[in-house]
Amino acid sequence: MDSIYWPTFFFYLFSGLACAFAVAVLLSSNIVRMAFYLVLSLGATAGLMFLAGAEFVGAMQLLIYVGGTLVLLIFGVMLTSQERFVVMKTWAGDWVKAFLAGGALLFILAYAAFSIPEWRGIERTEADAIVAQPTVTPIAMGLLGARTDDPSRAGYLLPFEIVSVHLLVVLIGAAYLARAKRSRSSIEKI
Amino acid sequence: MQPVTLQNVVDSLVDNTLDMSLPFFRPELALCATIVILLFVRIFKGGEYIPSFFIAILGSITALILAFPAEGFESWATMPRQELFTGMLVYDTLTAFIRIFLLSFVVLFIILSRLTGIADAKDGQDYYALVLGATLGMCIMSSANHMMMLFMGVEMASVPSYVLAGIVKGRQRSSEAALKYVIYGAGTAGVMLYGISLLTGVLGSAHLPTMAASLADLDIPNLLTTAEGRLTVMVLVLGGLMLGVGLAFKLSAVPFHFWCPDVFEGASAEVDAFLSVASKAAALVLLLRVGAGLGLTTAELPVADSADPPRVIAVAANETTAPTQNAVLVKQVADSQDATHVGGGPLSPVRRFFVILVSLIAIVSCTFGNLAAYGQTNIKRMLAYSTIAHAGFMMMAVAAAIALAGRDVVDARTAVSALLLYITLYLFMNLSAFAIVAFLRNEMHSEDIADYAGLIRTSPLTAVMMTAVLVSLIGLPPLAGFWPKLRVLQALYMAGGPLMTFVLVAAALNTAIALVYYLRVAKTMCIDPEPDTRGAVSLGFLPAAFVFVVSVPVLIFGILPGPLANWTDLAVSQLFS
Amino acid sequence: MFNFPLANLLSEPVGVAHYVTVGAILFICGALCMATKRNALGVLMGIELVLNGANLNFVAFGSQYLRNDGHSLGLDGQLMALFVIVLAAAEAAVALAIALNFYNNHDSIDVDRADQLRG
Repeated sequence: MDSIYWPTFFFYLFSGLACAFAVAVLLSSNIVRMAFYLVLSLGATAGLMFLAGAEFVGAMQLLIYVGGTLVLLIFGVMLTSQERFVVMKTWAGDWVKAFLAGGALLFILAYAAFSIPEWRGIERTEADAIVAQPTVTPIAMGLLGARTDDPSRAGYLLPFEIVSVHLLVVLIGAAYLARAKRSRSSIEKI
Repeated sequence: MQPVTLQNVVDSLVDNTLDMSLPFFRPELALCATIVILLFVRIFKGGEYIPSFFIAILGSITALILAFPAEGFESWATMPRQELFTGMLVYDTLTAFIRIFLLSFVVLFIILSRLTGIADAKDGQDYYALVLGATLGMCIMSSANHMMMLFMGVEMASVPSYVLAGIVKGRQRSSEAALKYVIYGAGTAGVMLYGISLLTGVLGSAHLPTMAASLADLDIPNLLTTAEGRLTVMVLVLGGLMLGVGLAFKLSAVPFHFWCPDVFEGASAEVDAFLSVASKAAALVLLLRVGAGLGLTTAELPVADSADPPRVIAVAANETTAPTQNAVLVKQVADSQDATHVGGGPLSPVRRFFVILVSLIAIVSCTFGNLAAYGQTNIKRMLAYSTIAHAGFMMMAVAAAIALAGRDVVDARTAVSALLLYITLYLFMNLSAFAIVAFLRNEMHSEDIADYAGLIRTSPLTAVMMTAVLVSLIGLPPLAGFWPKLRVLQALYMAGGPLMTFVLVAAALNTAIALVYYLRVAKTMCIDPEPDTRGAVSLGFLPAAFVFVVSVPVLIFGILPGPLANWTDLAVSQLFS
Repeated sequence: MFNFPLANLLSEPVGVAHYVTVGAILFICGALCMATKRNALGVLMGIELVLNGANLNFVAFGSQYLRNDGHSLGLDGQLMALFVIVLAAAEAAVALAIALNFYNNHDSIDVDRADQLRG
């Protein structure tokens, strides 16, 4: 038997963590624990992204997703969770149906993925020969509209610029809803 | 990786972005600028005295003016298809048309919001920023040429709409509508994104034409002969279905319609008009883009038959566009071996899948919407089911267009022209219906159909206009709603084949089903006795004028559909080429 | 040589298929979360899992370490994953604001209590 290929070892470690905590999110009936498991699952996903050579996306996953979005969600949990809402029960029949449907879908996707030869992975010799290339510069160039990795592909200047308008609109909307309410006679009466 | 100098980047920015793309993007830029001005005008001294309505209406009118072609609509006849921003968006006559449509709607909508008082002085800037932001998203959605822009457009159109559904903060029903909308909307968007990840992963690109090219390279009929190939196709089908989940949600098509009645009942009537007209129109064009983007490559488009003289397909008032029946018969004989009649080429399986899926969902949505609308007591809920039914009817035109696109480009354009005519007239019908509901709510504080009893005695103009709009929604001549339905049926007839014939029959039957519940509202308003408890109901001058202006086209285009039909024909004249 | 399938489990690099399987597990857990949870925030967490399953797919399909055929998604995968992270943050902010608004009006974020709109 060959020596251990460490990226593979870490893949199984991180994927085991990501999947286990994702299942824990699903099975947990306590909203606070769910939020905690979700943080761990998404953190492990960031590890998987590092292993796939997407270090910038992995870092952003940790910074924005785990550090920003999930903290926001946990903030929401803290603001709304009172004793009687924390525990959520799901009926046994629902679980059986859910697991049957989910299991079937998982089987189909995994079976199909492993049956495509190009997707089963490359040889170890090939993997050792790959020269790691930094991805941050091409990503930044792609965001400016110039694809240095493959000029035939589309540059991402438009989404990069337009998403800022989107974020502005979304913040206006969220701030509007979060402000104290005023009564508005005719429309609220119905 | 070739070396990149700063010069290269600057050159590409100037060449592609500044010179080529941005001139076509001016209406969207005007929307962006209006949103920013709405927000920042209050920073400056005296800025709070400028009503946000004026900024919003000025900005949207500017955007609308910029959206009109500088050389007149005639230039559409020769306008080539162009890819903007290195392939992110596509600019063709369809983009130009739908942008004018969306921006005209938003101008009318902003006036309506001002008249009904939903956007008052304090919250106006937030409300208008959300409306314009969602409109920007819809413009992007309907010109998407790349999976990134598809998803981003859907998100940009949806997320502000979630807030708009809950814009009346203190009302329980309103916040419930917003919560249901955001939960279902975000869930289906997530499923759609997963489907996109599968599709782009198998096809190795997110650019729609490149994806179509690699779909053609896959050679699906050949793939289906091996076990591995079948699994690859299954992943593609799964991805396509998941993408369809997101689109079906935006279209409120069965089985992803459940949010629609609840959200429409809980949100205010003005927002319902926005969701039912603008959002649906953008989603339909996006559905067409996905179908044509993945189901057609430029290589397999049939060459327009030069022996066949270009058929002029304008609808005149007294001439109901009889299709050249011989040509249809010849075509039917030619490909009678194929049940769905989608033409040949390596992508014909993709088109067949798309056509079967869309037409089945369309039939079910149309029938379900019409049947469920029967028992409704709330007018907004009834109109929500009516929206589901109309979305189903319009999806039939999309299915017919994609089925025809592989065989005869001219016929396919006719189908798209029918769709555009439908959404244009639907704007007038639904906007005036919801405007009347909103104005009556301000007067009567009720949205129950029963409370509209005898309205014709106290407010004759409103009742007559509402009746006209409802009859037009059924699709009865001589009102405008008749023409698009006729043209959709005509496109389905041209598409031929057992499936399309079935759709044709279902569509015709549905028009008959719809008759009853629309007329029930009309009967309540015009025949039923007036309740004693109700005081005088009278709209002010401006609301009445608005309703009049918006619903008069329903009458005019019912008698003279020619100009509008010519315009939609012009808007499709370069499509699929 | 004795060819037990798990024998070289740790000695060979993994491929896209492994990532797709992990992504599918995240997606399915998220989808089931959306279907079974009664709490609006629980549903939102399910949506975050679904988006992460998709993001993992995007990254895997574009990675040069996982596949070497001509159909790689290339850097498009990472760029799209980045935008998804940003869009998810925006969506979560609005969803949270709406959930808090609902909570203020109803003293609950139980989606089963959202039952005034029926018919």
